[in-house]
Amino acid sequence: MPSDAVSALGLTKRFGDFVAVDRVSFDVATGEIFGFLGPNGAGKTTTIKMLNGLLRPSSGSATVAGFDVITKADVVKRSIGYMSQAFSLYGDLTVVENIQLFAGLYGVTGGAFAERRDWVLEMAGLSAHRHRLTSELSLGWKQRLALGCAVLHQPPILFLDEPTSGVDPVSRRQFWDLIYDLAEAGTTVFVSTHYMEEAEYCNRLALMNRGRLIALDRPRELRQALDDPLFELHSDDAALAVEALRGLPVVLEASMFGRAVHVLVKDREQATRDVPEALAIAGRTCADLREVEPALEDVFVALVRREGGAVVG
Amino acid sequence: MNWTRLLAVSRKEMLQIRRDARSLYLAFILPLVLLLLFGYAITFDIKDIRLAVLDESRSAASRELVASFESSGYFTVVEYLGRRSEADAVLERGRARLVLVIPPGYAADVATGRPAEVQALLDGADANTATIAQNYADAIVAGHSTRIVRAGRSTGLPIRAETRVWYNETLESRNMIVPGLVAVIMSIIAAMLTALTIAREWERGTMEQLAATPVHRLEIILGKLAPYVGIGLFDVALATGVGLLVFGVPFRGDVLLLAVMTLMFLLGALGLGIFISAAMKSQILATQVAMLATFLPALLLSGFIFAIEPMPLVLKGISRIVPARYYVTVTKGIFLKGVGIDVLLVDGIAMVVFAAVGLALAIRVFRKEIA
Amino acid sequence: MSPGAALRIREMVKKEFRQLLRDPRTRAIIFVSPIIQLLMFGYAVNTDIRHTPTFVVDHDGSADSRQLIDAFVASGYFDVVGRSGRPADLVYALDHGQALLGLEIPLHFARDLAVGRASVQIILDGTESNSATVAQGYAQRIVQRFALSRVAAAGTVPSGGVDLRARAWYNPNLESRVYNVPAVIGMLIMLMCLLLTALAVVRERELGTLDQLRVSPLSPTELMLGKTLPVAVVGLIDLAAVTLLAILWFDIPMRGAPHVMLIAAVLYILAGLAIGLLISTVSRTQQEAFMSMFLFFQPAIILSGFFYPIESMPTVFQWITLLNPVRHFLEIVRAVFLKDAGVLSLWPQYLALLLLAAVVLRVAVVRFPRSMAG
Repeated sequence: MPSDAVSALGLTKRFGDFVAVDRVSFDVATGEIFGFLGPNGAGKTTTIKMLNGLLRPSSGSATVAGFDVITKADVVKRSIGYMSQAFSLYGDLTVVENIQLFAGLYGVTGGAFAERRDWVLEMAGLSAHRHRLTSELSLGWKQRLALGCAVLHQPPILFLDEPTSGVDPVSRRQFWDLIYDLAEAGTTVFVSTHYMEEAEYCNRLALMNRGRLIALDRPRELRQALDDPLFELHSDDAALAVEALRGLPVVLEASMFGRAVHVLVKDREQATRDVPEALAIAGRTCADLREVEPALEDVFVALVRREGGAVVG
Repeated sequence: MNWTRLLAVSRKEMLQIRRDARSLYLAFILPLVLLLLFGYAITFDIKDIRLAVLDESRSAASRELVASFESSGYFTVVEYLGRRSEADAVLERGRARLVLVIPPGYAADVATGRPAEVQALLDGADANTATIAQNYADAIVAGHSTRIVRAGRSTGLPIRAETRVWYNETLESRNMIVPGLVAVIMSIIAAMLTALTIAREWERGTMEQLAATPVHRLEIILGKLAPYVGIGLFDVALATGVGLLVFGVPFRGDVLLLAVMTLMFLLGALGLGIFISAAMKSQILATQVAMLATFLPALLLSGFIFAIEPMPLVLKGISRIVPARYYVTVTKGIFLKGVGIDVLLVDGIAMVVFAAVGLALAIRVFRKEIA
Repeated sequence: MSPGAALRIREMVKKEFRQLLRDPRTRAIIFVSPIIQLLMFGYAVNTDIRHTPTFVVDHDGSADSRQLIDAFVASGYFDVVGRSGRPADLVYALDHGQALLGLEIPLHFARDLAVGRASVQIILDGTESNSATVAQGYAQRIVQRFALSRVAAAGTVPSGGVDLRARAWYNPNLESRVYNVPAVIGMLIMLMCLLLTALAVVRERELGTLDQLRVSPLSPTELMLGKTLPVAVVGLIDLAAVTLLAILWFDIPMRGAPHVMLIAAVLYILAGLAIGLLISTVSRTQQEAFMSMFLFFQPAIILSGFFYPIESMPTVFQWITLLNPVRHFLEIVRAVFLKDAGVLSLWPQYLALLLLAAVVLRVAVVRFPRSMAG
């Protein structure tokens, strides 16, 4: 039995002429938090759906917990927990009724059921609200309940598809604490996100764009792979500043980074001269120009550029 | 009210309708399929009634009587019985609807001019068909009887009843079904088109988005209504065309009057759908309520198949709140009777009231929900 | 069945029951609406021609003409709603739908009657061709009887001739309600089955909960069973309620044994649920499911023999009706109610329902995963 929790080989999904996922291959080690990063429409959800048996791959193959996802779908289903992008518990059932349903579907009964139920209620902070209709809960609560229902049967592998989208930052932080706890207990967590800062929490990251896997490594290594110097500056109008800089010969890539502007350049000295000058000509201010450590977002933008494509989404 | 916003809502609705191609096809195909089905499968003209014959006379005279039944076209002899006890089984199994019993003395009676008697045993379980079958049998025997009597002497009956049928001279049931059917189909199509439109937006969360914009609830409702009015009018035109060209149903009234009345009816029926949708907020509930509130009442309480006349008073009252009832009167009146607004005024007013009440209710429910 | 499967189905059934019974509006739809509908439609489905509104134009105004009019009224089939001497009023009454039949007695009716050459005119509103046909038959019979009574009074009985004595079995008074109310029961039950299942799967798909079920060990068959069983129970309860109502309220005689009906009901409800689930599985949106449900239900009612006998349909349609569960169930229900039919004599209908249910359910299960792949 292979030690990899998840293994994909040339996984491809076509919808008509559109290639949603294009020959994606990777391995996820047992106990890892494996991040799937990319903008909306990059093919993250499609990949996850192929891995958990919701979609049939057009070509390629994959194993989850050592079992082929196509031929051994039944066994795979028992080994995984899945939390989808959209909230997908029953709004017209109460908290406890939802837990009961999924416990039953996964064969969690008797003493184990009571124990797991109480664990989920505790974990999600819903003990006092166990008889409330799920539709009345706040989004953060719903997400934690959904996570709880996905791990009721203590699956060795957990798929989380953008679990925190739309959730406020505090709830997001709490949610990631839960993910860490699960990983520490030995669960392999396969999580997709389009929040770059969340990606930093992962052991390893796969970057996806337009259906293709464009990089796969630890977050630190990914950042170091970007060997061109990166500058940050502030301007009175960041968007116009980016536009003004994109034409410069020394500039490889200019992009907005929060309220600041990030500029990837070919040469340090030339950049410290040319960048302020170009902004002055364009009538824009230029403040706090300094070289910075690249963030994952910079890596992502640079990698997409190197691939010669544009970022979707 | 702001036309730009109203148009924006309408355009959005139209785009969504166009994207959901299967539903759009269904909206056009449904009336056609139903009309063709009804038109061809159903004529209400009962014919080929299964007849079993117990001929105890076994004479030329009795065979002549049976021949009269067969040549009428209303009856098909499916079985000749040997014994009286077989009549039981034949009726119970439903193999025949009517058993004609010709007694042993029949031929002798006819020959000697004594009043002969034959018996008809009917399967009364289907009272409709039985009643009609009995009438046919009566008429056939009476006709046969007259021929026998005439052959002997020439005393006819002293009164002749001349029957004339107006509006539908040949009593072609198709002529009655098609106009009524247009009304029944449209009332369900209308509710079906709109019943989900607001509930869907609630379920998908887009309603909150709409409510956050300056668009007024009246604009949302009217904007949503407009494309469906278009589809509805097209459906009626299509159904009318098929009725006239395929089924040869007469059209004696004014096209413009039909169009105006149809518009009134559609506004009411679509408004009812929107009201259900806004009140239920869930597609599954809206579907259930729309089906219960529109289809069966339109089918059974509109006077389309079952006359309202003999219904108990309470039910007559209930039928007054079924919009299809008025529209059935209108379509039959315009298609077959060729009557004008003077005759249909009351029905027209009733439908305007429906449109107003339906829309007002929808807006009211909507206001409560948004607030 | 493995213990795991039994547990999964049990939990699905519990979940479905909770969702069905939680919302008071849904509860009303399930348990109250069939009763209200049967009460309403039980009265509506009346094709007996009695008290036909009749408008009389009597130009003669003689004792004879009055006697003829009296004969019409006395029959119980006709109610005189208006009288006038002007034919224009008759036109108005028919145009406005105030009368369905016009009786016009010409001038010199009494004089012509004396010499055996009288005639009367009967004018019918053909827009109700069904009623018109029957009313026409009654009117002619009344005129004929009236004429015969005159001949008899004059002592010149026409000798010979044939007289028809009609006797109706199972329903001696030929009351249409006895025949139609059981049909309404069949219609309501089918509608309930469809309403509760046709949106069941597509709704979960739209809400995203279906994916959550599909990644679990729940198999399509188990899911279908979980969705079917609760509705089947609801359907049987509804059927029992409306059947009792038909017997107790509408005095419809129930001549057959309850178990004959029960077997049919179980098979019929299964077939209805299977069709609903199939619609739900192949539909992409709830709107589409709603329309498809109607696209099935309306023809199923028309081609069931409810309003119109199947043997009078064109042959092609007669064949099509064999695929219609409503047709088979109506045949059983009517036979049970009116004829005391036994299980054995109804085996073709039972078999047809069983086959329909099995095949459609199978197709729904097979179609289920495939339709999800897109």
